[in-house]
Amino acid sequence: MAGRATAQTANRWHRGLVYACLAAGALIAAVPFIWMALASVMTRSETLRRVFFPSEIMWDNYRLAWEEADFGLYFQNSLIVALLTVAGTLLLSLLAAYPLARMRFAGCDLVFAGILATMMIPETVTMVPNFLTITWIHQLSPIPWLDSWPALTIPFMASAFCIFLLRQFLRGLPADLWDAAQIDGAGHVRFLFQIVLPLCRAPLLTVGMFTFIGSWNALAWPLLVTYTPTWRPIAVGLQQFVNEAGAEVHLQMAGAVIATLPVLALYFLIQREFTEGISMSGMKG
Amino acid sequence: MATRQILAVTVLALLLLQGCGRPDDGDGDGSDGRSAGLETGATLETVDPGGQTVRFWYQHTRRREDELQQMIADFNATNGHGIEVIGEYAGSYGDIYNKMLVTLQGGSSPSMVVAYQNQALAYYEADGIVDLNPYMESEKWGLTPGDRDDLVAAFLAQDNVDGTQIGFPPNRSLETLYYNADWLAELGYDGPPHTWLQFAEMCRRATAQPFSRAVTGAHSLGFYMDADASRLASMVFSRGGRLVNAENTAYTLDSREARQALVLMAELAGEGVVRLVGEDYGDQTAFFRGEVLFVLGSTSGLPNFRRGIEDAGGSFAWSVVPPPHGAGPPVVNVYGASISICRTTPAQQLAAWLFLRWFTGPEQQARWVRASNYFPARKSAAAGLSDYFAQNPGFGKAYALLDYGRSEPAMAGYQQVRRLMADAIVEVIDGAEVGQVLERLQRRANDTLKDY
Repeated sequence: MAGRATAQTANRWHRGLVYACLAAGALIAAVPFIWMALASVMTRSETLRRVFFPSEIMWDNYRLAWEEADFGLYFQNSLIVALLTVAGTLLLSLLAAYPLARMRFAGCDLVFAGILATMMIPETVTMVPNFLTITWIHQLSPIPWLDSWPALTIPFMASAFCIFLLRQFLRGLPADLWDAAQIDGAGHVRFLFQIVLPLCRAPLLTVGMFTFIGSWNALAWPLLVTYTPTWRPIAVGLQQFVNEAGAEVHLQMAGAVIATLPVLALYFLIQREFTEGISMSGMKG
Repeated sequence: MATRQILAVTVLALLLLQGCGRPDDGDGDGSDGRSAGLETGATLETVDPGGQTVRFWYQHTRRREDELQQMIADFNATNGHGIEVIGEYAGSYGDIYNKMLVTLQGGSSPSMVVAYQNQALAYYEADGIVDLNPYMESEKWGLTPGDRDDLVAAFLAQDNVDGTQIGFPPNRSLETLYYNADWLAELGYDGPPHTWLQFAEMCRRATAQPFSRAVTGAHSLGFYMDADASRLASMVFSRGGRLVNAENTAYTLDSREARQALVLMAELAGEGVVRLVGEDYGDQTAFFRGEVLFVLGSTSGLPNFRRGIEDAGGSFAWSVVPPPHGAGPPVVNVYGASISICRTTPAQQLAAWLFLRWFTGPEQQARWVRASNYFPARKSAAAGLSDYFAQNPGFGKAYALLDYGRSEPAMAGYQQVRRLMADAIVEVIDGAEVGQVLERLQRRANDTLKDY
């Protein structure tokens, strides 16, 4: 009895220690966000004086940030661009991942290795060839690519990472499913869309989440391929609060909060599936 | 994975990487290249700029951008040739530079671009911009003798590399030492430092004796060193040094003056009276709060200093002076981006020049100064700004220093060298041996010249 009590006490201490460490880690991770939220409702004076809490909540900063940097337009652009990119990525990644995971054909592993190899090349290195390709297509295409949505979305719809993630999940599906579908007369397309797709909810949401965040936060590429505010995303809007003489931190932080909200909302909506998707696709360490 | 597959993947990766290189190092189609011969001025007089659309990339935001857009609208309405200028915010200076390097390869660069001299030189060497001499000298479209006399020759000379005019200056600013005059008085000094030794002594005393009216009193410091090449350049210039040799063919960064500058900073950092700036504009905000005695910064930030001190709740007298220079005349770092005209079509290039000529005219210059707080490139514009000078005493005081200006190198690889200089500052402040750091810096800086 005494031994069990000692073990329980030790277990409680151990758990308490783990929770304390996790709480400290969470706090460290949360402090920048807390500061961002607090600074977004401060006066400029308070941001300059480095106070942590505002003396008065300045909700007007949000209106100013929204109006002065034309955030409405940037927000709308980011939303359209992100949704188009997510839709395209999900479709193309699924169509690419399925044969790599479920079909055997000559050079299958080689193709997959080739796709993986592209993940080793940093994005900045691919920027020039990507831009040259887009410029070339822009000159040939009946619809404009540069300074428009195609240049912001289409190059990112083929994602090696998303193909890899979905392929790992699809490989884990039982072979019996395919056998049963075949007995019922289903081909690969029907099997993919009627049986596999409903089972892929978690990994698809994970892929969607990653793609959405990537698209939402993009700055260098949108700056490169757009010339006017017509299709510029929210990250460009945030730059409006910095000039050569300094930054207007209170407005910049109000803008940052506005820019963060959709990503946060999306994460809270799908956090369970997101975690599930990561663990099911073998990404979790 | 089988050996054959590994080899195949390697080949694929190499092919992909090869695709990332510059696609065509040749002359292109040559239709609008140097062979067009406009640089000789032979056909410029007959070119018709009518109806051209000119895209202009700049870095300005908010108030400056609003005024610039208004000026562009005025030009579009009144130019008489039906030229339409479209002003486009293209990111920061660095963003624009990166964007230009990429678009020069893709053939979709703008008609005009804001560029520092070293950036413009890189564009010129990539055949991306044109020499402005033919435009300036054109009888029909060029500058009158009066215009030429009116332009600040030193500004124009900054954009002239071996006789090629790679840009045209719409404005300039210079680097000055901002100081808290009331704090200096509390420390027992009757004025700012004349020598770097006095500067060091004042920094030490300021660290030991915080400013009585500091807003937070969180800490007290003599000087915040920004790891920025222009800060080091100012310190070298003020000691009479240069960053390149007289022929502009090699960097001379391992100089006595650079050594003195960095040794002093390292010494003061070791004593805890100088710190590296840890965040963007961190030195300025500390100055606003009365926590740091000196800041080196651009005169274009003067209004921001005034407003920042008010907003931070500080109330102290402050001013600007040239960096300490001893008994000799001051030498200040004059800088500023110019506007370059990109290689497009003869008509579009001429249309861009006509906007540039209009934008740098005396009336527009006076207007631009009020919006940007930059120094005008026209002497006559300065004469018309007496009320502005009176309202902004620091501006007038700094403007008087222009005669003592020296500029940073206009060498194509200087952008890369600036990063090396910033790294060197950090290394020295972190305790590295100054001699070794400067020797390595100079070697690496000169290595960059091999690429051009």
